[in-house]
Amino acid sequence: MNTQPEKIAIRIDHDKCTECRMCYVVCREINLNAVVIDPGPKHLHEIDMDRCTYPGCTVCLMYCPAPASIVETVSGLSLVPPPARVWTEDKRWPRRAPRTGN
Amino acid sequence: MELHPILQEFLDTWVYPTGFSGPGYDFRMHITERCIPAWNGMTMSAVKAAQEDAKTPTREWLWSSVLAGYAGEGPQMSIKQMSTQLLSVSLEDQERYIDLQRMRAQQVWDEVKHGMLHADVMLRGGYVKREEELMDSADANTLGILSYFGCTAMFPHIHPLARAAQHYFFEGSACLGIQVRMRYMNDPLDLHDNLSQYVDELMHFMEGKYQMDVYALTEKDQRAIEDTLDFLLKPWAPTLADALARAKQGAAA
Repeated sequence: MNTQPEKIAIRIDHDKCTECRMCYVVCREINLNAVVIDPGPKHLHEIDMDRCTYPGCTVCLMYCPAPASIVETVSGLSLVPPPARVWTEDKRWPRRAPRTGN
Repeated sequence: MELHPILQEFLDTWVYPTGFSGPGYDFRMHITERCIPAWNGMTMSAVKAAQEDAKTPTREWLWSSVLAGYAGEGPQMSIKQMSTQLLSVSLEDQERYIDLQRMRAQQVWDEVKHGMLHADVMLRGGYVKREEELMDSADANTLGILSYFGCTAMFPHIHPLARAAQHYFFEGSACLGIQVRMRYMNDPLDLHDNLSQYVDELMHFMEGKYQMDVYALTEKDQRAIEDTLDFLLKPWAPTLADALARAKQGAAA
């Protein structure tokens, strides 16, 4: 059985984003490097979906301070501040070691 | 302790959601417990003050409020504060704390932007014709709170993470104060002032949150943050005037 979460694309809404780079910093901290800088004239942040593991990882959503600046591409759902369904214990990174024994 | 609903909403929205787990996160939760009583008291005081101000919003009140904001976050204070922060990481530690340094470098700009936003309110309100006029005002360039940026630029704790507590505690307070004013005040210029500042304040708060979650992993690093919070929460000298008076009393004794 495939237990991988379904791949859902997310994007940065540049009308809301303040380009503070928290997403870039935290994504790099966990070595995903899915937030990249567009080489265009404005050097805007973008999400590289080949590297991004959302909804497996939601770390960028937890530290983004600009409401509604990251959204699900298809549903248009605003992910900042993170909806309760994405910040439960098991979504945190790095994952806590599974509890063993009693 | 019964939490004010504005504080509870802030905690649920911005404090508890986190991307990391482990000792840094556990420590930040402990720090959060220390901050909550102060945040709660501050929120309730802010509500009281905002309710009073909403009854008779005056231009004098708005002027002093924005001026105090400018004094804390204008170019002069911002550059001093932030360059001091950058210097608190030694050359050999730069590699370890490179994310922290990057965010602080960006914060030099963020802080100056705070000052520009306050200046914008003063210009729109007709208090000044040009921002340069503020350079002649001592009130626009000094702030008498000991534990605020200006004086903590000289705060002697040199550990690179000492500032995480300052970001977390103070910027969290700033976010709460802004939320209160936006909900209780109807003055359009005041609303503009607070709306324009909010996201930047939240950014600084998030920086403190991130630093603790990711870097505060050992007892030694955590101690530095705890020490800073001890200082920030000290009740003995809420203003510079109080501290100087106490110093004079001490010298006379």
